[in-house]
Amino acid sequence: MKRSMVFVLVALLLSVSLPVFAQGETLEIYITGLTEDTMNWFRETAFPAFQETHPDVQLDILTGGWGDFDATVAGWITTGDGPEIVYLGSEYAATFGNLLADLDPYLSDWEELDQFLPAAIDTVTWDGHLRGLPLLMSPRPIFYRTDLAANPDAIPPLTFADALAFTAENSLVEDNAMVQMGFMDIGAGLFDDQEFIGYLWSAGGELYNEDGSSAFDSEATAEALQYMYDRRRTMMVDETTAGLPPIEGVPIASGSVVSGIFPMWNMPSTSDALWDDIAIGPYPAGENGSPIVQIFIDWLAVPAYVEDPTLAVDFLKFITSTENASALVSVAGFTPVRQDAWEELRESNPVWDRLLDAAVEYGRSFSDIRASAELRPLIREQVNLFLSDQQSLEDTQQALKEEYDAILEDNGYLN
Amino acid sequence: MEGTSLQPHLETLLWSAATVLFIVVGSYLLGRLASWVGGRLGLSASERKKVFWGFLFAGPWILGFLIFVLGPSVASLYYSFTDYKLGETPVWSGVENYRELLLGEGAHGRRFSQAMYNSFYYAIVGVPLQVGTALLMAVLLNQQLRGIKVFRLIFYLPVILAGGPAVLLAWRYMFAANGGFVNVTLQNLAQNFFLFDWLYRFFIFAVEGFNGFYAGISRGDPIGPLSYTLPALIGALALLSVLRGEWTPSRRGRLMTIAEVVGVTVVVILIGRGLIADPMDPTLLYAGGLLALVGALISASQDRVRSARGWQIGGLVTFAIALVAILIAGSPEHQALYIPAILISAAPLALSLVGQWTRPKFVLGGALAAVLCVIIVARLVPGQLDSGQITTFARPLVLASTIEQPDNLDYLEDTYPAAAPSPLWVYGAVVIVLAGLAIANNRYPRAQRYVIYAAFAVFALLAVGTLVDGVRYFQAFENISAATGEANFHFSLFRDTTRAFPDQNRVPLWLTSELWTKPSLILITMWSSGAGMLIFLAALKGVPQVFYESAEVDGATRWQKFYKITLPMISPALFYNIVIGVIAALQTFEAIYIISTPQTQDNMASAAFFLFTRTFRQLFIGQGAAASWILAVIIVLLTMLQFRYSRWVHYEA
Repeated sequence: MKRSMVFVLVALLLSVSLPVFAQGETLEIYITGLTEDTMNWFRETAFPAFQETHPDVQLDILTGGWGDFDATVAGWITTGDGPEIVYLGSEYAATFGNLLADLDPYLSDWEELDQFLPAAIDTVTWDGHLRGLPLLMSPRPIFYRTDLAANPDAIPPLTFADALAFTAENSLVEDNAMVQMGFMDIGAGLFDDQEFIGYLWSAGGELYNEDGSSAFDSEATAEALQYMYDRRRTMMVDETTAGLPPIEGVPIASGSVVSGIFPMWNMPSTSDALWDDIAIGPYPAGENGSPIVQIFIDWLAVPAYVEDPTLAVDFLKFITSTENASALVSVAGFTPVRQDAWEELRESNPVWDRLLDAAVEYGRSFSDIRASAELRPLIREQVNLFLSDQQSLEDTQQALKEEYDAILEDNGYLN
Repeated sequence: MEGTSLQPHLETLLWSAATVLFIVVGSYLLGRLASWVGGRLGLSASERKKVFWGFLFAGPWILGFLIFVLGPSVASLYYSFTDYKLGETPVWSGVENYRELLLGEGAHGRRFSQAMYNSFYYAIVGVPLQVGTALLMAVLLNQQLRGIKVFRLIFYLPVILAGGPAVLLAWRYMFAANGGFVNVTLQNLAQNFFLFDWLYRFFIFAVEGFNGFYAGISRGDPIGPLSYTLPALIGALALLSVLRGEWTPSRRGRLMTIAEVVGVTVVVILIGRGLIADPMDPTLLYAGGLLALVGALISASQDRVRSARGWQIGGLVTFAIALVAILIAGSPEHQALYIPAILISAAPLALSLVGQWTRPKFVLGGALAAVLCVIIVARLVPGQLDSGQITTFARPLVLASTIEQPDNLDYLEDTYPAAAPSPLWVYGAVVIVLAGLAIANNRYPRAQRYVIYAAFAVFALLAVGTLVDGVRYFQAFENISAATGEANFHFSLFRDTTRAFPDQNRVPLWLTSELWTKPSLILITMWSSGAGMLIFLAALKGVPQVFYESAEVDGATRWQKFYKITLPMISPALFYNIVIGVIAALQTFEAIYIISTPQTQDNMASAAFFLFTRTFRQLFIGQGAAASWILAVIIVLLTMLQFRYSRWVHYEA
């Protein structure tokens, strides 16, 4: 009996421990929301290249979507056990802050750092310290179908007033259902929290006052909200109007969307002939503001639970190199964040050339959004109440201001 | 990633070995402990050996339970009393998280309130529909038809598919307002059948009106005079049920049950508010003590030992709360106020501990209750029923409006609700009248009848008056809003949706409108109610045919057979499905996660979804833990309540 128990115990131990001898040193990278082609490029091209200089290292990709992103990353940080590199969106430096490793000791002297857009470096900096490296940028302008527009000469509208006129002219409702939308936001709905922040900026406003409190009580906020409300009413008389039927594929190619804000992955391929009929423009501006194009930076960070980030930093330097940045353009449609990779890109395709022009002329990085996980639902709730005629403009601004101040206080941004 | 490549292997190996060793040693020690306890309890040597081996083999599971269930539960209970954001050190914050969530303070408190209302919506509206669908399907599948097994498979299939993301995404397409399968079908039917068209539009009107009103309540819109209608209606209907015919024990029991449910609800609200108030209002403790005392006296007078014990426990809880209040009270003045509450709430227990329930004890208890009444009224009246607030109750009784002619929204939104007394007063009056009648128990029939008539008249007039006044209240909002052109928060969805009957081209905006998101979710759960159907089907198969045959001989109709035989016989299955359905409804998560959009998330979010968001998206572990404990307590209370009032369930034929 005892002998057999010892045998079972040993077998159990061996079954658990033997597989680990087969492994080498492992570097796990969490990547969010990329296509299968891009994953394959990582596995088949990038990883072998990295292993040429790091032969003992085994690289693994963990994948996930933005939908379960927060829960997944929070789980790793809670347990202190997760991948060595995580893929983050623009606003996450503020969300995770000190939970991400300080990479200054490893990167501050790196000569290639100057090649990155300064706005991108700002995005990956928290509390004065680098927390990762920018991987790609996603300029998010407004795209216009010149062939569908009633008046192509009005493209791109650069003021709120012109944009309203454009949307009204190009929207069509029949039998209380939309047939053509003059403008579609990125969420395929009628407003989006990131978009609202964009209009707030293009109206000349800021999210924060100098003392760090919320500036939602500003004139610019009121102007942005009023513009979004008026635009909604140009497309639907009241809240009973049904939206467009579900769109398969990219909305701008559907024939029922005349303009909208979309990321490049939700646009036709840059080699598509449709681009001949697509114009690119910035967010229109308010009376005291200027047009902008929001730029989202996706970046790679090293969590603070990684005791020695040396190897992870080596990989970050490798994957953000000029060569790989150029490769990711063709594989994944990434817009490189390194300026030394732009020249080739501009020459390769006029679409990229136009996009980068818009980014350079109007670009504003979507960063320093404090307590973004809490700000997002607050904007959705309050702005939706205003846009759907359930709350006055004054009450909306007051609620946004008071509640965001409370959130900033809770999160230690405001005393 | 540090050091040589062998180190992590060794580390893994050591951890694996340590884990196995821990399980083995832990299980062994657990067995020894159980054996030792068995010895202390007088078990023989052979029995102790059996206990040892039993616990040894159950050890891995018990250790797993302790480490992965009990441990985290205790930790989450601790975190719920802390201000703890992931990555920061937990700081003890007392009941702050609970206070913020239960009082709906700030953005998160408000969102939690909304999530609780959404959860209750799924439970109150969704569960009856889901159970009804399951029962209907079970009855259909209980017929002797060719190919019935295929139908059973078809009806059960959605249970397997329903939670799947792919199917839920398919629902998103089917529910598309413009061009979706559901709306296209409904529109085609409406265009071709005149009667269906009217029914369809009435359906839209009714669903939007109901959900518009519910949306207003769930976000805390003041409902003015309408807040008194429900308690007044409960009192009027309860008295109406005993107004005609003879006074019987079942009628007395009915009144006591209603009084008990309403009374317990009021006590829970009062104690809940008291627990999270800062500082706690001693009036609530006095009220809790009074209710426990009166409840114990009533139960003792009727020799209902278990009920009396329940009230004694209620008194003990109040006692404990008062004790905690004294310990955490900031000032000696507050501490002094809590001391009488402690003494009074201990009274029911003290009275029952010393000998039998004798007449002097009842007199003593009654005197104590009278003193408490005086204290409570003295404390409440200056704050609650002055400055003309009594007229808020009095005017609806003569069908007069309590609302002045306002010319601005501030009066309606702020001044009027602030000046009105709490509807808990009406609930309290209902409890007093019903309990008083039940206790008097026909000792003075004529007097009792007059009281019933008078109380019925009061409650009925109050119900009608406040209902009419409630309509005026809404109309006033409408008028001011129209006159000023100002959008206002107050029940705007309800007012918009009930303003006109839907046109012919109206369609339900299933997943994009606040008015339709919750009904959409309920429709999906109804579609997947096959699990409940299976339980009903098993229960239906167990109903002896002889009952139906006897009923047929007596000339019973199909409906009579269903209502008088089938339903009572399957009542345990019905009860099970309701209990499980309510628990599942309160924990709804996956479907919301998949089919909601950022714009509709707040309108669909359940309490479970809120705590997920607060914990894993916003990383506030402390408040997420508090939300999870509130949800757990609500589920336990609701389940207990369902078991307490499950006399309609028959476990034997």
